[in-house]
Amino acid sequence: MSQDSTAGLLERVGALRLGVWQVPVGLLAIALLLRPVISNDLLLGYPQIASSFLIWMIIVASFNVLMGYTGLLSFGHAMFMGIGAYSVAIALSAFAVPFLIAAPVGIVLSALVAYLVGRLIAHKGEIYFAMLTLAFAKSAHFIANYNPGGLTGGTTGLADGTTPAWIETSRGFTYVALGGVRIDWYWAVAAVFVVGMLLMWQLVRSPFGRTLVAVRENETLARAMGVNVRRYKVWAFTFAAAFAALGGVLLEINNQGATLTELSIVTSGNIIIMAVLGGANYFFGPLAGAFVWMFVEEYLADFHTLVLPLAEVPLVHVDVSGVLSYWEFFLGLLFVIAVLISPREGIFGMVKAIVDRIAARVRGDGE
Amino acid sequence: MSADDPKSVALGTEALSKHFGGVVAVDEVDLAVESGELRAIIGPNGAGKTTLFNVITNALDPTSGSVYLDGEDVTDVPQERRPHLGLARSFQGNELFAELTVLENVRVVAQTAAAGPFSFSLLGDGRSVRADEARDILARVGLSEHAETEAKNLSHGDQRRLGIAMAIATEPSVLLLDEPTSGMGPGESRETVDLVQSLQDDLGLTVLMIEHDMEIVLSVSDQITVLNRGSVLATGTPEEIQGDEDVQDAYLGGVREDL
Repeated sequence: MSQDSTAGLLERVGALRLGVWQVPVGLLAIALLLRPVISNDLLLGYPQIASSFLIWMIIVASFNVLMGYTGLLSFGHAMFMGIGAYSVAIALSAFAVPFLIAAPVGIVLSALVAYLVGRLIAHKGEIYFAMLTLAFAKSAHFIANYNPGGLTGGTTGLADGTTPAWIETSRGFTYVALGGVRIDWYWAVAAVFVVGMLLMWQLVRSPFGRTLVAVRENETLARAMGVNVRRYKVWAFTFAAAFAALGGVLLEINNQGATLTELSIVTSGNIIIMAVLGGANYFFGPLAGAFVWMFVEEYLADFHTLVLPLAEVPLVHVDVSGVLSYWEFFLGLLFVIAVLISPREGIFGMVKAIVDRIAARVRGDGE
Repeated sequence: MSADDPKSVALGTEALSKHFGGVVAVDEVDLAVESGELRAIIGPNGAGKTTLFNVITNALDPTSGSVYLDGEDVTDVPQERRPHLGLARSFQGNELFAELTVLENVRVVAQTAAAGPFSFSLLGDGRSVRADEARDILARVGLSEHAETEAKNLSHGDQRRLGIAMAIATEPSVLLLDEPTSGMGPGESRETVDLVQSLQDDLGLTVLMIEHDMEIVLSVSDQITVLNRGSVLATGTPEEIQGDEDVQDAYLGGVREDL
C-alpha cells in the first residue's frame, strides 16, 4: 500500500467512521500514546516530562476556549493557572488542607476571580480588554511577589510542604500511592486530562459553545439577533479560568510547588504562542502547539543527548548544540511563519490541509 | 398623514431623536406603523434612515423620545432583548457569521430565539438544536442548496437573503429591513421584494423597509415615510407621497439620483 492511500485510509477512518467519537478517541490516543512515543530514543528518550506535556495541553486548550472559540484575546491567562497552583500550594503548606479539597477550592477561586474580572472588563473593546487582562495579571504577580502574610513565598515561591503525602518520588519519577496501590503520576494526569478535555469539548460543542462562536464571528450581529454578548463573554472567561486552574493544580504537584513563573506575563505570552502555533481554529490545535513547544524546548535544549549517537557516524562532526540551545528563537521563527501564512490555522491546520489534499487525491484516483 | 397614536400600533415612536454632538441625525421622529403594514422609509443619503433603525433597535441609545412595540414602552429595553420581544432587523452591510455555514448562521439565531438572550445550555450537540427550523427558513428564502456553504463564500445577493433569513429566525412580529435590495440588479431586486412580501403574508409581519428603488417603493408599500435631515418630511400612501410638493422639493433640490 502506498503512503498516499494509507493517509487516505486514515483520513477516511478518522473523519467518517468515527464521527462524534473523533474527539474522545483522539484524546484517549494522546493520553495513552504520548508517553511511550516521546520516550522513544529517536525522540526524547525519557518519559518523566510526559505529564508536563498533558498539563500544558489542558492549560493552552483552556486559553483557546477564549481566543479560538469566543474571540477574546487575554494577555493574562497564566494568572488563572497560577491561582490554581498557588491555592493548592498555600492550602497544603500553610493550612494542611488535603489536596482533594484544596484543588476544587483553587479551581472555584480562579473561576470566581475570572467572573469578577470578566464582569468588569468583558464588554471592553478588543485592545482595552487585552490591556486590562495584562494589568490584572501583573497585579496578581505583584501580590504573589509581595508575599502577603508570608503565604505566597515571594520571589522564591512555595516548595516546602507543598506535596501531598500520597505523592512519592524516586529517581525522577513521581507516583501516586493510595491505600497500598502505587500508580505512576502520569496516568493520574492522563485521567484528569481526558476528563478535563472532554468537558472542554462538550463546552464548545454545546448550544452555549456555538453561541460563543457566533460572538467570535460577529459581535454586532449576535447582539442584534438577541444574544447577550457580555454575559456569554463573562462566562467563557470564567470557564476558561476554571480549566486553566485545573491545569494549575496539576502543575503544582508536577513541579512540587508554585513559583512566580506560573503567574508571569511571559508564561501568559507562551500560552498565546502555543495556541496560535498549534492552530486556534481547531480543538486539537492548542494540543499540537503545546506539544511542539514543549518538545522543541526539551529536544533542542538537551540536544547533546541526540548528538551522542550521531557522533558515532564519522561524517558528523559539526557541533550544533550551541546554536540549537536557542530553542525559543527557533520556535519564535516558526511562530512568525505560522502567523504570516495563516494566523488561525497553525501547525494543526497546515497538517490537516495536507492530509485532506492527499485524501482527496486518493479518493479522486479511486473513482 | 397618519395621526395614529404610537401606543396603539405594532411599532410606534414618539419624538425620537438622536444627536451626535451637535449633529442631529434623527430629529423628533413620530412613527405609527400598523400591524401587517409594509412601510417604506425613503430619503436622500444622510437623511438618518439607518440611524433611525439603530435607535429603534437600541443599537444606539436615543438622545430623547420613546419607542413602543405593541403599545409597550420599550425605550429602556436593551438591544439584545428586543428580538425576543418580536423586533428584528437586517443590516445594510452584509453582517454575517462569516466563517460559519449558512445553516449554522440561521440555526444559532433560531437557538437564541428559543433559549433567550443568555442560557447555560451546556449539554448536547449545539449543531442539532433548532436545525430543522433553520432548514425550513433556508428553504423559504431559497438558500437550501447553500446550507453547508460558509457564509463568506455566498454571492452578494445570497448574503442579503441570508440576512433576511436570520432576521426571520428570531421569530419577529416587526421586521426592519435596511436596503434589502442594495447592490442587486433589477431582476434580483424584484425577487427579493417578492420574498419579503411573501414572508410578510405568511408570517403576518409588520415590515419597515429602507429602500432606494422608487419603482419598488411605490409598488409594494402600504405607507411611505420620507425622511430628510433626520426629520419626517411626509408620511402617506404612495399616491399621496407622489403628489407631495415638499417631497418633490427635497428630492429635486440636488439629490435627484436617490429617486
